[in-house]
Amino acid sequence: MMAMSVNTPPTVEVRNLSKRFGSLQALDSVSTRFASSRLHALLGENGAGKSTLVKCLLGYYQADAGEVAIDGTAVRISHPGQAHALGLGMVYQHFTVVPEMTVAENFILGKEKLPARIRWSDENDMLRAFMATMPFQLDPERKVSTLAAGEKQKLEIIKQLYLGRRFLVLDEPTSVLTPAEADEVLGEMRRLANANELTVVLITHKFREVEKFAQDVTVLRGGRLAGSLSQKEASKNALAGMMFGSNVPDRPRFSATAAANETAPYLRIADLHADGERGTPALNGVDIVVRPGQIVGLAGVSGNGQKELVEVLAGQRAAKSGAVYVDGKAYSGTRREIKRAGVSLIAEEPLTNSAVRSLSVMENLALRQFDEPPLTFGRYFLNRMQFLVLARNLIARYRIHASSPFARLDTLSGGNVQRVVLARELSRDVNLLIIQNPCFGLDEAAATEIRKQIVQARDRGAAVLLVSEDLDEIMEIADRILVFSGGVVTYETDRDKAEVYEIGRHMAGAHAA
Amino acid sequence: MTAASELGWWGVLFAIFAGAIRISTPYLLVSVGETITEKSGRTNLGLEGTLVLGAMCAFATSYLTGSPWLGVVAAGVAGASLGLVHALICNLPRVNDIAVGIALFLLGVGLAFYFGKPFIEPRGTMLPGIGFGFWSSNPAIRSGLEVNPLFILGLFLAVFLQWALVHTRWGLLLRMAGESEDAARAVGRSVQSIRTYATVFGGFISGLGGASLSLFYPGNWNEGLSSGQGLMAIALVIFARWNPIRCFYASLLFGGASAIGPALQSVGINQGYYLFNAAPYVLTLLLLIYSSSASYRLAGAPSELSLSR
Amino acid sequence: MSASQESRSPVRIPESEPRIPPDIARRFLTLPSRERLEPFILSLGALIVAMLLFGAFMALQGIHPLDLYRALYVGSFGTRISIENSLTFAAPILLAALCTLIPARVGLLVIGGEGAIVLGGLGAVLAGTAASGAPALLGTTLCLTAGAICGGAWIAFAGALKRGRGVNETISTLLLNYIAIAILNHLISGPIRDFSQTLKAQSWSIPSQFMLGNIPGWSVHWGIVIGVIVCVGLHIFLRYTTFGFSMDIVGGNNRAAQMSGLPITAIVVVSCFLGGAAAGLAGAIEVVAVHGAASESLVVGFGYTGILVAFLSRQKPLAVILFALLMGGIAASGGLLQRRFDVPYAATAVLQGIIFLCVLASNALNGRLLPERKSP
Repeated sequence: MMAMSVNTPPTVEVRNLSKRFGSLQALDSVSTRFASSRLHALLGENGAGKSTLVKCLLGYYQADAGEVAIDGTAVRISHPGQAHALGLGMVYQHFTVVPEMTVAENFILGKEKLPARIRWSDENDMLRAFMATMPFQLDPERKVSTLAAGEKQKLEIIKQLYLGRRFLVLDEPTSVLTPAEADEVLGEMRRLANANELTVVLITHKFREVEKFAQDVTVLRGGRLAGSLSQKEASKNALAGMMFGSNVPDRPRFSATAAANETAPYLRIADLHADGERGTPALNGVDIVVRPGQIVGLAGVSGNGQKELVEVLAGQRAAKSGAVYVDGKAYSGTRREIKRAGVSLIAEEPLTNSAVRSLSVMENLALRQFDEPPLTFGRYFLNRMQFLVLARNLIARYRIHASSPFARLDTLSGGNVQRVVLARELSRDVNLLIIQNPCFGLDEAAATEIRKQIVQARDRGAAVLLVSEDLDEIMEIADRILVFSGGVVTYETDRDKAEVYEIGRHMAGAHAA
Repeated sequence: MTAASELGWWGVLFAIFAGAIRISTPYLLVSVGETITEKSGRTNLGLEGTLVLGAMCAFATSYLTGSPWLGVVAAGVAGASLGLVHALICNLPRVNDIAVGIALFLLGVGLAFYFGKPFIEPRGTMLPGIGFGFWSSNPAIRSGLEVNPLFILGLFLAVFLQWALVHTRWGLLLRMAGESEDAARAVGRSVQSIRTYATVFGGFISGLGGASLSLFYPGNWNEGLSSGQGLMAIALVIFARWNPIRCFYASLLFGGASAIGPALQSVGINQGYYLFNAAPYVLTLLLLIYSSSASYRLAGAPSELSLSR
Repeated sequence: MSASQESRSPVRIPESEPRIPPDIARRFLTLPSRERLEPFILSLGALIVAMLLFGAFMALQGIHPLDLYRALYVGSFGTRISIENSLTFAAPILLAALCTLIPARVGLLVIGGEGAIVLGGLGAVLAGTAASGAPALLGTTLCLTAGAICGGAWIAFAGALKRGRGVNETISTLLLNYIAIAILNHLISGPIRDFSQTLKAQSWSIPSQFMLGNIPGWSVHWGIVIGVIVCVGLHIFLRYTTFGFSMDIVGGNNRAAQMSGLPITAIVVVSCFLGGAAAGLAGAIEVVAVHGAASESLVVGFGYTGILVAFLSRQKPLAVILFALLMGGIAASGGLLQRRFDVPYAATAVLQGIIFLCVLASNALNGRLLPERKSP
């Protein structure tokens, strides 16, 4: 099925589109126009309505009001199949390819009409011929689970082109790519737009991508249209103003304390090896040292072993070899060790890793201390009334929005679940703080507050290991910056001597696709 | 029986071999059916109940109509019906498919015992065997090599389904539903309906397994006809790594293990009868221990299967 | 929970040090909230729907549903004898339910009650005959304890297999059921057989002074009292001890439990042991209070009914008492159904299967009976 034909890609326009979910007005009378053969950036914070807008276009949701027009004609799209038939397609943030199947099998699955009997030799040949016309090439007979993140992303894009989509929405496509891979992919998208092959809508929150690749920009905030302009008019300040409102919190630069390079390390990770989910090596000899009163930032593109490193530190994954020492003693994450050494750990995805959704807010807040006074009577009996006292205290201090301390944790929004975990971990006396992507999903004000708390912990003498995919965040608060790539630390520098391009180059590391 | 003891120890080996083929038929059919269901991402633990209900329906229908093949169809329909109930309830949100399986196990056995009371005494019409032993004059060999036609059907199904999983549209969709719900939704396919069809199909085939019990070997209906064969077949699927052809080999292995007890009895070894009966369960448990791993998901396990998480 | 409610607090707080604000104390004494009631309502609703379906099933065979319901009631709670029968059936069902309930709290789906009951019975017989010279009360206690330990070890083994090798506990405990029955059959047909009993294969009998008597004035043995005490004790254990809370964490989110440094394998194996011990106790009680010896009368399906009760109770021990009584009633009325309507005893199994499916289907309504409560 040839993807490139002679007619022009569509112009898609939305007029006064609105969508409500229960009490939440996700889209409020939004109107904008995605012009043919152009790359259009769609900007906005989390919850601004970007996903809702494109999902209405693609038929996953039905808008409550307003209309969608393709090349000037109003259309009613009630399910994804219709959108696909009109040539609209989407590449998601999370890969939708089936890892245990081959590239070819994944391609075929997207077709509207599958033949009853599939002749693979013919299909593979057709696929190879098609790939030759594509900007990226992949072997059809490879199992998808063996592809790298960048290759999987390219596969998703090629699949859409293969299926004849001429209007493509890319939802944060570069979040799992190295800067080099990101430039390659977005560059190709822009080239295809310029060549009148595609209309591209790029959902992103990275100004850099907007600057470099977009021709038009639409900004959403709180479900409403905050602004629609061409790229030339879009300065960083104008965009930020539209995204966050007029009081743009300037990212404060926290003053670096003189790192006490002579004190003994509080956390020492020595030659750590571990395997990942599928038994392939994920950590290949990690050596990291964090001293008291120091923030060590571990930068890197997602998928290079950071997840596995934090899992080993959290006791959720066994190491193959190597060791972790906290305060000079071997550390395996038992409860006694955690308490003695004063370790706090905040992993990503709190509902998956650090909190229990079936328990109440109050019980989650008590997770670290339920087996010691004042939450216990004696050694074995719980004092549940004290749980409530503790919970009231922390809810007030950390401004957790919950209907009551007895509410189940999963009735809270994502940001508030994160606040519960932060409250629980940061309110104790912390000697070692391990923290991963703390501000993911939080708005700018909350994120700044948390970064301030991390710095305060450091100022009180804690050793802090900050694992983050947001390089800006690391540049802002880390004293010492490490780059993590391919399961090892490939580069180290102090913050004052740090250079973004050098760091970015090392982040690309083994994944020079 | 004396003809068998004529053969001495060769007789024991032969009895185990013939028994393997005979006894493995229900295992083969249930495991192949369950493989398809699990490939779509659902576990149907209720197949023991399906087996028993299928056996009862087959026997009753054959007895009442005189046609064993009608009985086979009835067994399949009974199995498909239970499979449909399983699928519909599991399609509801927040329902645990393993628990539903246990419930259907109880219901299937309950229904079978309830309706099956009048059929315990009489002798029904059996399925005709396919005589692979025509070359021998020894009646024991002849009867030993009378092969259940459903065994042949099972073998054919195993080979066909193995091929179909890769080379047909339904096979591909089935595997996709079992590997990634997200991918299925992204291409606009309903995971629920794929799993429903798969579970009904698996139930139908498992019902046929029941028919092979009551219409061929042992060839009657009573309340002790199956004791855990359906369950063992499910463990067998894990051991066979969700591969229909390997299910065939594993079923033969189980059949052989189950045949050891009766084979030894036929040459007069009677002690430890019950312990030999326990052999297949112990074997299943050992195989399960061997096949499983604490850290990694079992290779070949459909990713959406709750068993493997 | 506003300040104006302080004056109405029924709990006396020492004036000198009000560490716990009065309104918190009051909160702990308020009536059950909707959240706590919802599981009950769903289970009772499922029971009613199941009864209706069963009535329809029987109606198709010419039995009038109202006659059926009346018979079920009379057979379970209508007369003194039926109440006694119901209580007698309820005891082992209650304890067997805990064999599913306790491991469920740590996230395991164990259905090995049947096997643990069998091993409990065997353990009681072996202990009883080994300690035949002991005084009565000690002997009874020894039998019950031995039964509990045997049952506990059996299920703990499955728990260890799950943690050590990732073996699915539902399949392994189901297999262990059959293995336990095979062990029982082997032992009572030879090694521990009482050959003087010709009616059926039976083990040696325990000394008669070890037998558990009846509650004074009733034809019901003490087993039901033991069961209720165990349930209440379990409720306190699960809710008010640190171990019980750690079980909640392990069952709620394994990864959060790892992160907080809890010894998960130990917690899981101990939980399985406790569950198996409860079912083992049921088997021991059957020997010590009813049969006096082990035989195939130990294998009557209490284990499977227990699974159903655990699901009906939505893993809450206090609710087990209620639902075990109900299911005991159904089991007790089976005989009456058989005689009155000429249906096989398996009718109760059909009813149980229908109830089980309805309860599972009602899970789809979890949370739907409560008002929308997403916080900003």
